[in-house]
Amino acid sequence: MPAAVLVWDRPLRLMHWTLAASVLIAWFTANVFDTVHEIAGYTALVVLVLRLLWSIAGNRYARLHNAVRPPWVILNYLRRMLRGETGRYLGLNPAGAAMAVALLLSAAVSSISGWMQITERYFGNEWVERVHTWSSNLVLGLAAIHVLAVLLACVLQKENLVRAMITGKKQLR
Amino acid sequence: MKALFGALLGLGLGLSLIGPSPALADGFKNCTKAPKTSWKPASDAEAAAKALGYEVRRSKIEGSCYEVYGVKGGKLFELFYSPEDLKLVHTKAK
Repeated sequence: MPAAVLVWDRPLRLMHWTLAASVLIAWFTANVFDTVHEIAGYTALVVLVLRLLWSIAGNRYARLHNAVRPPWVILNYLRRMLRGETGRYLGLNPAGAAMAVALLLSAAVSSISGWMQITERYFGNEWVERVHTWSSNLVLGLAAIHVLAVLLACVLQKENLVRAMITGKKQLR
Repeated sequence: MKALFGALLGLGLGLSLIGPSPALADGFKNCTKAPKTSWKPASDAEAAAKALGYEVRRSKIEGSCYEVYGVKGGKLFELFYSPEDLKLVHTKAK
């Protein structure tokens, strides 16, 4: 049995799954259960702030500014991934880091614009409503791609990456 | 920790599977069965809200309702008017 290394620490895993649940819940309660929708949105906002802090305070795999690569590196990686060559990363691969940043940014726009809609200043503001709708659709679209890409990477790398986000551990090999 | 993950995931997946149940829903959208061609103008609904003392921010069509965004005494309200007779059908405090 090869040695296992802790990649995703507890706070990061908790943030990941809390954000995932908040996004799902917010999506299915939009325009239907306002109270639940708003709680999910606030929860997401708190997680996003903590995630930003964890990018400084967390371990090396939590530091997004280390994982983010220039666009051509990301494109090259995606091209190789489509050919089935993924390499193996303990933390985020270049495409994964780009997805994490895109998801976190769009979730931030979505939750902030949603919150703005129930402030007195922006209540009824059509522009804010439009931003909220589009950013929320973007979050869900990106999340779907994220899940599919992780599953693809699981197959290509012969490694259970979903389990890694639950236990936090990856095998050294 | 794992139990918490499980609970959160279960909640999310459960919601996505059953979908929101209409019985508990607070999305309001049924105000009239009258055909759209017979509807009174939305500006009349806004005027009705103004007459009640609301600062009207905007109105839009929500289902078969005019939804008017109104502010009164620093509080936020969504007012649902029937486009047929401009009756105030539902008031939702935000």
